[in-house]
Amino acid sequence: MRKPVRVLVVDDSALMRKLIPQMIEREGSIQVVGTAMDGEFALEKIPDLKPDVITLDLDMPRMDGMETLRKIMRKHPLPTIVVSAHSTEGASATFKALSLGALDFVTKPHDPTTHMDEIAGELVAKIKAAAKSQLVQLPEPQAKKKPKPAMKHGVPPTKVVAIGVSTGGPQALQYVLSQLSADFPGTILIVQHMPEGFTGMFAKRLDETCAIEVKEARSGDLLVPGRVLICPGNRHIKVKHMPLSDVVVLTEGEKVNGHRPSADVLMNSVAHEFGERAIGVLMTGMGEDGAEGLGTIKNCGGLTIAQAEESCVVYGMPRAAIERGHAVRVITLEALANTLQAQCSANRSSRPMLAEATATGD
Amino acid sequence: MSFFSEERAAELREVFFESAQELLQALNEQGLELEKTSGDAEVVRGIRRTVHTLKGDSAACGYRELSELAHELEDVLQPELAVSAGGALAELVLSAADMFDAMLAAYRGNMQPPKADPLRAMIARLIKNPAAHSLRSELTPAFEWSEYDRLAMEGALTNGQKVYSIALAVDRHCPMRAAGLELILRVLSECGLIISRNPEEIPADGAVDHLEVAIATHLDETAIRSKCSIPTIVENIVVSPWTPAAQATEPSPHDHDVLGIAESHAATAVDVAEELDEVPLESMATAAEPSAKKPRVEFVGAENTLRVDAERIEAVMNLVGELIIGKSMLHQTINEFGQRFPKDPLKHRFSDAISKQSQVLNLLQRSVMKIRMVPVDQLFRRFPRLLRDTAKACGKDVQLVTVGADTDLDKGILDQLAEPLTHLVRNAVDHGIESAEERVKAGKSPQGFVKLSAYHQANHVVIEINDDGRGIDADKVAAKAVECGAIKNEEVTRLTEQQKLELIFESGVSTADEVTEVSGRGVGMDVVRSVITRLKGTVHIVSVPGRGTTFRLTMPLTLAIIKALLFEVGDQHYAIPLNSVVEITRATFDQVHRVDNCEVLQMRDEVVTLARLSRLMPEAHERSITKFFVVVVRMGDKKFGLIVDRLVGEEELVIKAMDDQLVATELVSGASILGDGAVVLILNIPALVERVVYVHLPIRPVPLPASTTGVRVAI
Repeated sequence: MRKPVRVLVVDDSALMRKLIPQMIEREGSIQVVGTAMDGEFALEKIPDLKPDVITLDLDMPRMDGMETLRKIMRKHPLPTIVVSAHSTEGASATFKALSLGALDFVTKPHDPTTHMDEIAGELVAKIKAAAKSQLVQLPEPQAKKKPKPAMKHGVPPTKVVAIGVSTGGPQALQYVLSQLSADFPGTILIVQHMPEGFTGMFAKRLDETCAIEVKEARSGDLLVPGRVLICPGNRHIKVKHMPLSDVVVLTEGEKVNGHRPSADVLMNSVAHEFGERAIGVLMTGMGEDGAEGLGTIKNCGGLTIAQAEESCVVYGMPRAAIERGHAVRVITLEALANTLQAQCSANRSSRPMLAEATATGD
Repeated sequence: MSFFSEERAAELREVFFESAQELLQALNEQGLELEKTSGDAEVVRGIRRTVHTLKGDSAACGYRELSELAHELEDVLQPELAVSAGGALAELVLSAADMFDAMLAAYRGNMQPPKADPLRAMIARLIKNPAAHSLRSELTPAFEWSEYDRLAMEGALTNGQKVYSIALAVDRHCPMRAAGLELILRVLSECGLIISRNPEEIPADGAVDHLEVAIATHLDETAIRSKCSIPTIVENIVVSPWTPAAQATEPSPHDHDVLGIAESHAATAVDVAEELDEVPLESMATAAEPSAKKPRVEFVGAENTLRVDAERIEAVMNLVGELIIGKSMLHQTINEFGQRFPKDPLKHRFSDAISKQSQVLNLLQRSVMKIRMVPVDQLFRRFPRLLRDTAKACGKDVQLVTVGADTDLDKGILDQLAEPLTHLVRNAVDHGIESAEERVKAGKSPQGFVKLSAYHQANHVVIEINDDGRGIDADKVAAKAVECGAIKNEEVTRLTEQQKLELIFESGVSTADEVTEVSGRGVGMDVVRSVITRLKGTVHIVSVPGRGTTFRLTMPLTLAIIKALLFEVGDQHYAIPLNSVVEITRATFDQVHRVDNCEVLQMRDEVVTLARLSRLMPEAHERSITKFFVVVVRMGDKKFGLIVDRLVGEEELVIKAMDDQLVATELVSGASILGDGAVVLILNIPALVERVVYVHLPIRPVPLPASTTGVRVAI
């Protein structure tokens, strides 16, 4: 039998210190080696308990989660999963934490009847994934005050990149997007499984730390080069040709694969609207969302990419696509940005400019 | 498979109830703090953190009503609001704490939680926003056009058209709203090309209070205005020319607000943390007020605290008790062995082993006793709120000071002290402290002052409740006591001031001229004394008219083990707590005088009333010994002498509780077992003194049940 993953639970709520171990210890493969009620105790206990993974509440008295995280990362870098409150403020703090090196987050249970098992499952998977992860030490992102280039409407993107990503996504996306230049010639659409309220903050953080424009998508946003649109939580995102430009449309349809947003919805739509100009990327994450959609992109003539196993926090989604033969290329996280840059720059002029052709029609 | 099994859920709920109580306590304290600091941002954040945790915890346990209420409360807990709302926010927090408490009680009893409507009304009143809200929807439209809309609008502009953002408020009294909206749209489309509209679809019931459209037209503003002014349908119109610069590419203003606030919060929190980090330690120590420091200390305590069922500790304590008895048995046996074989080398090894054993046992006992000790702060911390509410109810301004909150006391004692202390504090505020005018007239500050203090004194913990009020009028107490028949009029004249004061503990005596809601019903002080006595403590009053009153409760550190003085009366062993013994002296009957039916002994310059324990004996035969010992004990500030035949010594006794069926007398407060297996009865001194000294009736022997007949000791 493999050694269980040793977890330290840090939370100021006595109830959570009881509940979280119960949730995660039902899996024999996880062992809660200790709990701490605030950051100071956590820091004291880490050297003795030698946990593999830490779950961290951000809202604590004395030393709050943020400061704790900063110190953990400085003194004994450990994979840390933020257990966050389900609120706007929680979202803000959560992304700050992710930018400080937290690996991932789950939102605290707020209704036992519907969420408990789901959250327990999510937490277990994320802890296991975290234990396996080599801690990717990202440089603490500096907020760059860069002049965002003016919107270039009328110029359609060379390619439309649809990215599906789940567990491990925030870090991976940060890594990839920060390497793209502001004049990236394609448009990137991202489905990141994340609750409502978190996506806006997530986009904002990314925008501050990346040269390329990142924004949370709103219905009617234009597909223009050099921009990344992140689908808001609890909505599906699709693309649509309109007389003046290509736009994204958000809908409130049923969950697909248990997710809203679903990567399948995005990828199917991108495949049908853009055909060969579509690029599908399926990155780290649990489950199979996006695997089918990736297949559609491939069948419609687009390029499909799956993230290579070694750089995935959870290999589930890429593997599902690879096993079905839907991934044309398997690429490591390190090479992904370059690949996208190269793919979108290639054949720039040989593609028909759909939007340009119709722009003068009105 | 569901992870949330019923027993797990039940266990979790237990944890929840316990931690929720702590959160409520914290909420009460923070609410008071807020009242004092009126809107300190840090305090508000602290409150929000508490409410937030309560929200999360209750949600996780499925207590939806509580969680939702906490959520609503959390929303109002903004530092900005605290400044504008002033004391109202503190009031809200405290009421919420009460509401939560009531809800928790209901959940605990598996009942439907009470409706929180009054609290919700308070919240609503605090926000006072509904008016502003409708104003905003009528007059300040958002005009959030999507990128695509803007592209089209720009296109129209380049084609030489005018582009307007138009908002129309639908008349509130319009009977057929859906039809009205359709009409508006038709009029608008006559004006020009509608590029976008919000909402996109008009619901069948027309439940939309305003409509926003972006329109490309050749008409000018006034023309549009006049066309759109449809009586009884359109109540208000905003027409603003649109330019590409009019809308930034940033998130919508509404989103922006929310994010902005969240951001600034997060930022301040981090900043504060960073500041704290950099402040040198010593300056922090001096800067931190005691009130700010307290929760920290307590959190430390809480984390290192292991929650253990009191019964388990009780079990360990019992075993330790057995060990101690075992030790004395062993001791005695070894002594006998030593006498029988004085030259046996084994004798020394025995005594070495036993002395080592005793040491360890001593440590063990002390450690176990320490487990039961908790700081009196656990008790004291509920009083600020109580005092505030009482003071408010009485319309007085009273300040509470607590001293020595870290003094340790046995948890069992502490828990039972809550009721009497509550009573005393209420009394202090209601009866003790005068009204502000009265105080000023008496040359005191208008604000009253109540002090709660705790400190160790030998083997005791003393808890004092002190007020700077009007003091207790001893004669008034005595008069009341006569009135309600607690004492006869002629007896009063013989009482000292102090004795008159102590009549306040007689049932039915109250000095309040009027019965108020808070106190003054005359029940209570007798309860106070009976609880204290049951806990083997004493209560003492010091009152200076016009200056204030102090109630001093002297409690034993622990109930389980006492140091006792053992003595014999008529061949039988008794014990009394050593700490009540003031001194021991020898006397002869020649020195005993009779005053007023009491036997007294002149000791140095004072006269001590004697109690002849032999009068309690069943086969009472007054021995004709002329020399005896007098054990002087203190009760309140009176001393009494117990006449005993022989002193046995000092011993640690493990008190075994005796139920009422076994011994139906209040003279005995417990029993213990000696090393030789003999049972010793521990005497209850206050009851004893009352029986033997005060009451002049013939004393009936106390019948003992058959089960103790084999025992050498009996009363």
